[in-house]
Amino acid sequence: MKVHNWLRWLVFILIALIMNFPIIATLMTAFKDPSEVMRNPSLWPETWSLANFATVFTISDRLNIYGYLWNSAVAAFIGAVLPILVAFPMAWAMSRRGYGRAILFPLIVNIRALPLIIFAIPLYMVYSTTGLLDTRLGLGLILAIVNLPLTLLLLVNAIAEVPLELEEAARVDGARLGRMIFRIVLPLCRPAFVTTFVFGFITGWNEFLFGLMLTTRDAVPVTVGASFFFASSGGGVQWGVAASVMVVAALPPLLLGVIMYRRITGSMVAGAVKG
Amino acid sequence: MKPKSSIENAVLASPLVIFLLAMLGFPVVLSVIYGFSEARFETIASPTFNGLANFRQVVADPAFWQASWFSLRFGVTTALLQCALGLFLAVYLAPLVRRHAWIVAILIIPMVVAPAMVGLMYRLVLHEFVGPLPYYLNLIFGSSPSFLNIANVFKTVVIVETLQWTPFAFLLFLTAYEAIPKEMREAAAVDGTRPWRMFWRIEFPLMFPTLFAAFFVRFIDGFRVFDNIYTLVGPGPGGSTTSLSIYIYETFLRRGEIGKAMAAAILLFISAFLLLALAQQMMRRRG
Amino acid sequence: MNLKTYLRVGSTALALFASATALQAQVTVLGWPGGPEEAALRAAAEIYNAKPEVTAENKVDLLFTSRDGFFDKLQVDLAAGSTAFDVNLIATYSIGKYAPYMEPIDLSADASKVFGDTVLKTMQFDGKQYGVPTDLSLHFLYYRKDLIAALMADDAAKAKYGEISKKYLGEALQPKAPEEWTWQDFAANALYFSQSVNPDSPTKYGTVLQMKNLLFNMMVFHSWPRSYGGNWMDDAGKITVDSDAYRKALEMAKMLYDAGATPADSTSYEYAEANAAYSSGQVAAMVQWNAAAADLTKAQAETGSFSPPAGPDGRFTHIHGLGLGINKATDNKEGAVAFLNWLASEEAAVAYAKAGGAPGLTPETAAKLAADRPDLVQVSDYASKYGFVMNGGTSANALTVYEAQAKEFTGYWAGTQDLDTAMKNITASMTELLKK
Repeated sequence: MKVHNWLRWLVFILIALIMNFPIIATLMTAFKDPSEVMRNPSLWPETWSLANFATVFTISDRLNIYGYLWNSAVAAFIGAVLPILVAFPMAWAMSRRGYGRAILFPLIVNIRALPLIIFAIPLYMVYSTTGLLDTRLGLGLILAIVNLPLTLLLLVNAIAEVPLELEEAARVDGARLGRMIFRIVLPLCRPAFVTTFVFGFITGWNEFLFGLMLTTRDAVPVTVGASFFFASSGGGVQWGVAASVMVVAALPPLLLGVIMYRRITGSMVAGAVKG
Repeated sequence: MKPKSSIENAVLASPLVIFLLAMLGFPVVLSVIYGFSEARFETIASPTFNGLANFRQVVADPAFWQASWFSLRFGVTTALLQCALGLFLAVYLAPLVRRHAWIVAILIIPMVVAPAMVGLMYRLVLHEFVGPLPYYLNLIFGSSPSFLNIANVFKTVVIVETLQWTPFAFLLFLTAYEAIPKEMREAAAVDGTRPWRMFWRIEFPLMFPTLFAAFFVRFIDGFRVFDNIYTLVGPGPGGSTTSLSIYIYETFLRRGEIGKAMAAAILLFISAFLLLALAQQMMRRRG
Repeated sequence: MNLKTYLRVGSTALALFASATALQAQVTVLGWPGGPEEAALRAAAEIYNAKPEVTAENKVDLLFTSRDGFFDKLQVDLAAGSTAFDVNLIATYSIGKYAPYMEPIDLSADASKVFGDTVLKTMQFDGKQYGVPTDLSLHFLYYRKDLIAALMADDAAKAKYGEISKKYLGEALQPKAPEEWTWQDFAANALYFSQSVNPDSPTKYGTVLQMKNLLFNMMVFHSWPRSYGGNWMDDAGKITVDSDAYRKALEMAKMLYDAGATPADSTSYEYAEANAAYSSGQVAAMVQWNAAAADLTKAQAETGSFSPPAGPDGRFTHIHGLGLGINKATDNKEGAVAFLNWLASEEAAVAYAKAGGAPGLTPETAAKLAADRPDLVQVSDYASKYGFVMNGGTSANALTVYEAQAKEFTGYWAGTQDLDTAMKNITASMTELLKK
């Protein structure tokens, strides 16, 4: 038994190192002195330096990491909250009355299986006429569509678990439907909201294609902004700076994911098994 | 009573339905119009109907089939690898996870990093002169493969995708494995069933629906792959790493063939939908 | 949580994006991001904005995005009638494509004194001036002076050099100064300095070729077939890409790749990767954009530069101009015209060059910069002596031609298709793209 566990730990450590290797390597590169990146490809920095991070966090007219992070945060927030708001009432009707179960439910859940690029093209045209192009709202709205399938699924499941007696009791007391849904059911779904929000926020933060297509300056999210640092180094090949901007960009969802891993686990399972 | 509740239902459904129509209604209509029209950037405001010409063009384009074949191969290979590795990890590490739940947090890290970013990270990690992986391979084995040349690039992108998304399969299997009723294992143990046999005879069949679901989800995500391949190697020499998503992107933006790009997108939409319907049918039959 | 909280969350979300919009009535200029061009434009804009006669609503505001997908986005923005910028970047090879969405501009006679008519022409399409030329981009041969000096001083090495060139290139060559190189010499040098061919080589690779499926890599490559007499089409409009010249250059590049004279990952290399390889000291010589001069010299102090090697038809360097023109959808045309006219003045050109830009200038103007920018003398010298644009290189679909070539040629280099297939495919697509 002891030997077995020792082996298991070894497998775990090995797998963790291999799977996280690009992240570890990027982190270590970010701490190297800019002049060292070209000379020293090993993982361990000869001299630890914060110079790359200093470059990333120094606002220039062109590369404003705070702006990118803020754009990502706002868009991902809209993209995570909006689907919860619009899907919650429908989820109740679906869960309690089976309303829309036949067509609407599979239709929306199937959006998840579609390659999202097919929406990028017409959306550009719609956005350019409605003024949503290059706005955080525009990006947030499309992220909401991305997150909608999983959100609906999770909320339908969560409402199904709310004891029916509570609702019936409220009805007997003469509560109207809207009041009952919002006063009784909604508070009980709070854990599901958290799960949905965490997962939606991470998905939204990590989105790349719509960020690339639908933003230019004002609403550039950090996934796209990071590629500015990487590809537009012009004459200079600043791999160290590129590494640190990636670390900065990956940190928020990473922390959220690690802290909330139990919640993500729950939502993933529901999403995959039912979807 | 009945009319009242149907009004209620409509009210409850309205936010979602309005949102969907507002966001996707027009794009879907537009996609269909452009798909059946001669449309380029210069004539974007006045597409002229040309029937099935775009679809004929797409079907006659070898690059479209090359991209489809790439996506299919990529989707199947990565889904299989992820399921196999994920299943092994879930079953083998389950005893550890029971006592140390935090190890799950470590293992899911790759999954919460943006795929586009992971592609960029590997551009650094795999570079012959500045990347740590070739450096250590050289140090230990005296040589390092060229990860991104034509012979290896497919393997490399498959491994990149697999390493990032195995945690997804791992999580599913872990949950399914832990959900197997204790009594079933105990009863088998009393009968003297050995662990290996127990896995194949009892545990594996119970986890099969999860396995199917995981494979399907991972296949779909692999089939529509864009971000990590695009940032790591782009369309590839001779278009060798062009997935369907990349094909549509390039047809639209690089070549400005809007009608053709939309036609390809519509074909993709239909095949994805059929695939999904098929998979759900199979699931239902099993269930 | 109750109804009130529910609504509050909704209105917070609304408020968040309402704060997003803020538009200013300035002249917004979309420039070429990330390189010395950006630094130079910033410096020029600063001078312009400080002028007392420039009113607040005509001040210049710069916009830089990413080189990745720059032309993709610009295409879509222009076609959709975007007003996000008033002035935007154009390049010689993309004027034809963007001309329908742009406003021609009349420059004063002074402009031709500053830039010269040849350079102004790089910004013309159908006889109309579409922009002010800001930078001239061409390619340099970069090489390690120390390595070549050591080679030339060593008789045993020279013998080995002859042996290698005999084996791979069919003729025994003597090491030469890079100023005298033909592409044969370039190839011999690349082979000699590669450990896969010559285990005693001080560097791992003799050269680094940029073979990623990317249109810019085709521009770097083009000086090679051109010096063998290659061209896109003849004067009658017949596509002539399937020629001995293109075949020879493509085959030589593939031979170097297969022989291991350039990293095996070269098929995924572009600007950044290639520079990183050269900077590591493991590469003896390479053809790269002139913009890389400062960085490569910084990384390897013994770096020399010259125009790319010669071929039977002479010495050539692919050349294109970058410039700025007016977006047809602009809502501040007057301000845009004012800025561009200033940009075409000598004051602006000199300031732009001093800040790191590479304008193509007349000898008289360049003379005023000889102390600050001796390399500009080099650039305008090479441009006038060796510069070329392919027939059809300014047509509406030029950019797409480069795209198509990138796909077919990289496919041949990587071995996904043979040369005949690549030639057949590219002839077909170029015939389609360049037809009148």
